[in-house]
Amino acid sequence: MVLPAVVAVTLVVGAALTTAILQSIGLMPLVGQPALSLDGYTAASTDLLTSIRLSLTIAVVSTALAVLVGVTVALMATSGRRLGLAVATFTVPVPHLIGAAAIGLLLADSGFLARLFRLDEGRWPALVGGRWWIAVIAEYTWKESAFIAIVVAGTLASRVAHFDETAILLGAGRIARLRLVTLPLIAPSVLAASTITFTYSLGSYEVAQLLGRAYPEPLAVMSVRLFRSIDLATRPEAAAVAVVTAALSVAVVGVSMIALRRSSVWR
Amino acid sequence: MIGNYMGKALGVSECSRIDLLVLVFRPSDLGVSVFFDSARRSHRSAPLALLAAALLFAAACSAPSTDRVEADDQPWSQIEQQARGQTVSLWMYGGDEQGNAYVDTVLTPAAKEAGVTLRRVPVADTKDAISRILAERQAGTKDGAVDLVWVNGDNYGTAKQAGGWLCGWTESLPNMKYTDPGDPLLKNDFGVPVDGCESPWHKAQFTLVYNAATVSDPPTTFAGVLDWAQRNPGRFTYPAPPDFTGSVFVREALVAQSGGSSSVPLTYSRDAYDRLTPALFDRLTQLAPSLWRNGSTYPQSSSALNELYAGGQVDMTMTYGPATLTELVAQGTYPPQTKVLTLTDGTVGNASFLAIPSTSGHTAGARVVANLALSPQQQLAKANPDVWGQFTVLDTVKLSDADRAAFASLPQSPVVPSYDVLSRNAHSELASAWVSPLDEGWRRAVLAGN
Repeated sequence: MVLPAVVAVTLVVGAALTTAILQSIGLMPLVGQPALSLDGYTAASTDLLTSIRLSLTIAVVSTALAVLVGVTVALMATSGRRLGLAVATFTVPVPHLIGAAAIGLLLADSGFLARLFRLDEGRWPALVGGRWWIAVIAEYTWKESAFIAIVVAGTLASRVAHFDETAILLGAGRIARLRLVTLPLIAPSVLAASTITFTYSLGSYEVAQLLGRAYPEPLAVMSVRLFRSIDLATRPEAAAVAVVTAALSVAVVGVSMIALRRSSVWR
Repeated sequence: MIGNYMGKALGVSECSRIDLLVLVFRPSDLGVSVFFDSARRSHRSAPLALLAAALLFAAACSAPSTDRVEADDQPWSQIEQQARGQTVSLWMYGGDEQGNAYVDTVLTPAAKEAGVTLRRVPVADTKDAISRILAERQAGTKDGAVDLVWVNGDNYGTAKQAGGWLCGWTESLPNMKYTDPGDPLLKNDFGVPVDGCESPWHKAQFTLVYNAATVSDPPTTFAGVLDWAQRNPGRFTYPAPPDFTGSVFVREALVAQSGGSSSVPLTYSRDAYDRLTPALFDRLTQLAPSLWRNGSTYPQSSSALNELYAGGQVDMTMTYGPATLTELVAQGTYPPQTKVLTLTDGTVGNASFLAIPSTSGHTAGARVVANLALSPQQQLAKANPDVWGQFTVLDTVKLSDADRAAFASLPQSPVVPSYDVLSRNAHSELASAWVSPLDEGWRRAVLAGN
């Protein structure tokens, strides 16, 4: 049943990844003779390490905040306060590019909030393009928390209600129910959703490009800059950065798959 | 995005060599086994076989030929004949509203009369068109998506290096007779010979722009601009290279810091770079704390800088297309007191061109459009500040009396002076080989150094 999907994904992802790997090790140059070399990986290794650190930090912080907000919204929805979930339903279809532009208009130095508080004369903190990447993290958190809220609310609606009622009948308090019933039951869906969130924010380009700063740069921004460079010799470097990004994502997905299989609910 | 291009490159591949493969590849190396574990076990071998096939296909590619592609030598009437009924895709920077309007409402109807359907494809950056052409060239495409590109400088040079352009066709354009064959701006494009690979479209002059309401003492030299920035902390910045405009600014700073255009050799050499750039990067690093946000960061694009200027956060901006200024002031986007800074040491000027990719399948139609774009009627319409305000590439001495008079009586813009004033003491662009080392050096010394 899944074969058609697997074939399509394998051909597209497989061919793209292979091309990226071949370009990164110098076997598919745009000009000149193919020759095996690791220059693509070593040429800008300091920048590459800085970018890996930055990308991982942004992804970890955004995912953690998104899980916190998303799970809270989902839990509130099950106890009757559904406004948060309704907002989340409208947030999910907004494309990240539009979201980033909107956050920019809101948080920039001459943006809506700065004008509202009349703080435009250099007293507004550097949220867009600032040192701490706050606007970028805010955008990921906002968009991805809505996604997590909907996934978790789905699990809560289908499974947890019955267990929760049983626990109440057996005399469990609110905290005990949360700790011993609700959280273990939603853990797998939180893990799956946050893995998707994490890999997305690790590889995303447009948000960091629009709301970030010129240096240091996240992996995706670095890769696109090198790929579009007028110096054709930087193509292997661009491919190397893309391969490193893909490898990081695959590693995280792998770890999370193993964790999911070990969780009691999965079995 | 990268995957997208690579996928396209593979889809129609004509690559032939299959010798590199086995060394490189084992499926488990790619980490894809994670995905297959969840597929049904009985089907496991099928995707792997397919993956292997995809890899074989990919690994068989090698670099495309970089040979020059020459245009067919045909009489013009025959080219006009072939062009009838063709659809030409013109890829051009889409962020210039007036430029888009000119192409849609003036050039496209004129092409229609010649039997050619002109389709404008807006791109965020001309580099996107170059990437597409090079990917198609790598794939051996003969009927590519790009038929004509608005291009110049490093983008032109890069694609020329990879054999991306059709060459030797501009001499045959009937309207080339109105240009001056000795015009240095039309003979070399950032130091790369034009060689009949692109037909001129318009001229441009790098221009600094200031708000006269807040700048009471406008500087008169480029070094003076840097000094002004230092005296007025937080009121000046420039886009971070490799942005096109930011890159020009750094080259202009190099010329000013080195003591004028005669001190910087146009062709790139490692010696000249090592001799001239330390002083430049010192000056720019020393300037950084006085820039917007204390120079801890820079606008990522010229449009980001323009937004800062429009929002009143800085007092100066810069552009290679002063034509747009009139409209921006009239709309109220820019402050009403916006003025062009005329520098006594002159600024850099260039020409931009229309080039036909070697992967185009509609070269006759593209040649007809390029010829049309060069006609006195089109150049005149385009030079009107109300339409686009782009400076003509024609030599007005060679025009008919009526056309010359029409050029002379074009309405003057209240913001932008005439080309003669703007281009006084102008100097040529440095060779495109300078661009990458300077951009990269700036990133390391000035951006990462702070």
